[in-house]
Amino acid sequence: MVKLAGLGTYLPPWGSARGRALGPDEDALTLGVAAARAALTAAGLASSDGAADVETAAAVGVRRVVFVTRELPLLVGGNAAALLAGIGLAADVAVVEQVGGAPAVLDALAGAAPGTLVVAADAPQAGQPAGAAAALVGPDDTAGGVGVELVGRVVRSLPVHSLAVGEPAIRDYSDARLERERGVGVAVERLELAEKPVVAAGLAAKQAAALCAGSPPALPTLGASSALFAIAALHELGSGGVVLAAEQASVTAVRLDGPPAAAYRDEAGPVLPEKLSRTPGPDIAISLPAYERAFEVKLRWEGGRCDACGTLALPPRRRCLSCGSESGWTPAALPRTGEVYSAVTVRVPVPGLPTPYSLAIVELDGDVGVRALVKVTGVAAGTVQIGDRGRLVLRRVAVRSGVPDYGYAFFPDGSAAAAAGPAAAGTISEGAAR
Amino acid sequence: MRRVAVVGAGMTAFGEHFGLGIKELLPMAVSEMAAHVDKGLDRADIQAAWFGELTTVDGFPSGILVDSCGLLDIPVTRVENACATGNDAVRNATFAVASGAFDVVLVVGADKVRESSARATFWEWAGLTRDMAWDYPLGLVAPANFALHVARYLHESPATREHLAMVAVKNHRHAVPNPKAQLRYEITVEQALNAPIVVEPFGLYDCTPQSDGAAALLLVSEDVVDRYTDRPVWVRGVGLGLDRVMHQHKRDMTTFPPTVKAARAAYAMAGVGPADIDVAEVHDCFTGVELISYEDLGFTERFGAYKLIEDGTTTVGGSKPVNPSGGLKAKGHPPGATGVAQCVELFEQLRGEAANQVDSPRTALAHNIGGPTAVSAVTILSSDRG
Repeated sequence: MVKLAGLGTYLPPWGSARGRALGPDEDALTLGVAAARAALTAAGLASSDGAADVETAAAVGVRRVVFVTRELPLLVGGNAAALLAGIGLAADVAVVEQVGGAPAVLDALAGAAPGTLVVAADAPQAGQPAGAAAALVGPDDTAGGVGVELVGRVVRSLPVHSLAVGEPAIRDYSDARLERERGVGVAVERLELAEKPVVAAGLAAKQAAALCAGSPPALPTLGASSALFAIAALHELGSGGVVLAAEQASVTAVRLDGPPAAAYRDEAGPVLPEKLSRTPGPDIAISLPAYERAFEVKLRWEGGRCDACGTLALPPRRRCLSCGSESGWTPAALPRTGEVYSAVTVRVPVPGLPTPYSLAIVELDGDVGVRALVKVTGVAAGTVQIGDRGRLVLRRVAVRSGVPDYGYAFFPDGSAAAAAGPAAAGTISEGAAR
Repeated sequence: MRRVAVVGAGMTAFGEHFGLGIKELLPMAVSEMAAHVDKGLDRADIQAAWFGELTTVDGFPSGILVDSCGLLDIPVTRVENACATGNDAVRNATFAVASGAFDVVLVVGADKVRESSARATFWEWAGLTRDMAWDYPLGLVAPANFALHVARYLHESPATREHLAMVAVKNHRHAVPNPKAQLRYEITVEQALNAPIVVEPFGLYDCTPQSDGAAALLLVSEDVVDRYTDRPVWVRGVGLGLDRVMHQHKRDMTTFPPTVKAARAAYAMAGVGPADIDVAEVHDCFTGVELISYEDLGFTERFGAYKLIEDGTTTVGGSKPVNPSGGLKAKGHPPGATGVAQCVELFEQLRGEAANQVDSPRTALAHNIGGPTAVSAVTILSSDRG
């Protein structure tokens, strides 16, 4: 029996009620980071505005991250460091990069040691829903922690959807009845469940309803993350019970001994995806020495605090912006909220980048005297205005010569984006009056 | 320091010279300059050269200059200072003559922007101006660098997109009589406002075209000026100013501190002020940059630039004409050549020989800003010896 200490979910803002679509600056890693931070927030280890949480999380013992997805951004080169830095965990936490679907996530969770953060992300190509969810396993005496126990597992093979190494796209055998009857159907039979599941992950709504007691909640994804979305849904159902996770011919079932505490849900939107144009271009160059020097502070959203006078600089720099000291600097967490000082929208096609896109200079909150030049995410290009407020979130800024280049982007607050028209008019007349 | 005079000036037309390489454009500009020295120029008199080229095409710039122009026996220094390269080349050559080291020197500026595919140009140029880890992947195309300033400027000042359009209309009109200009046609405010957006708030007509071209000047000391002309144009002041390179470190983006610093230095050296300037070539790579520069150069008070474009002060025929050549906007902008070509234009203006002549100017100012907004160079020329 493991104890759940926190649940977090993330859905891309793009899409419709039928499902969310991956943004052009997102991949499984950025989705997973967003969900993991949400789980740490739910567990009380991180504030939603992202105050420094590395020490806190280390203190309560997040010792292992299990990252389950079928869309690992890098198969060679490694995702672990970016995952830890983006979540805000220390660089000595163990990371398991696991290829898997919904059953693999319940396997990972049910067998996890205290201090394990299970992160599940679905970043499929067009047509399939994207999302991520994460669960933190606490110590056995976790206050208010609900227990999760393995009920059973059946592992079989019926690859009606397959992707072999070197193949460009998933192949479909295209026999839904075979998949339903000889795949999940046989697997569930062999589980010999004593009680019907209350929620089923990895299945279409109709099939899930046929297998479950009552009417199970709809889940926003079908892959790895659906297993944790299913557990999070038990909070709204107000009950514990059996959670089933299926993938093709394999299933895993766990039982929760009560309803989990509410998940922290980072689920803005949905808004209809933008029509973006892509212009072919040369590979965007990368300097790996420059990448390596910047990596930790860039992905952890840290500035350099001058050891002599305390001035914060982004990026960190040898010579202090304020006092000129070159005696050194110490990494310091930056505020993750701010206000737009200036913003522009690039509409001309740029080779290698989806256009249009907006760029903003954001004045960070807390009077820290730091501005950041970042891309805008989560809203249609051209909607962000001077004075809008929002938060800084990890995104894949570009893919440079095959390497994902992660950094922070400005995600305007919903209210600000909605009020863009009148707010803009107000600020212009104010400017004219000066 | 000795006085320094410009006694010859020449340039190629600016444009997309697909049929001409840098090895053709350089000798064309130098030969036109030589042909315009009133009393003639023996190339053997040239003692040194300063060559402004922002990018490198076809190899090593200084070597290409001496090789293509028949100047194998003189020292050449290549100057690169972003889009302020041209006026910084003038500045370095001026000091070399003023110091007494040389009596006759050549200044050349050139660039061949259209030598790369349109697809490759952006990332090549971004590599010249951006931090590889922090800003390079953001897709800060050249207009975006300046638009970040102008968007804030439009937010704080009374100027509007209509004022940007008026700058474009004025500079297009000025380019029509200029045979060296790239875009020799008039546009209307409505056309400018309705043009496709490149980077908000800039539409197509707010932006300079991409250009190839070269320009050349002959600078001589006061001791030998009479050998070359009886109507010299004096280099009265030069200045260079810099700023922090990353946008997030520029606290007030409604002004360009490099311009303020460069202008202060040039005015002080020349012993003149903004009110003494009769005609100016101002860096208008994007229309809003011309407006902000009116203020930084001291032509008007802070946030007062819109009035100068509204009331025609800066049009030819107004009291302080700006960019009678058409400016970068319509004459074109091969970065290394741009500042040198501004001085070619002002040399002709001060001698009463310009294609779009303003009314009897005596003192003139040339201005560049670049890097994208971290360096500025200002040159003050005058028919008065000073």
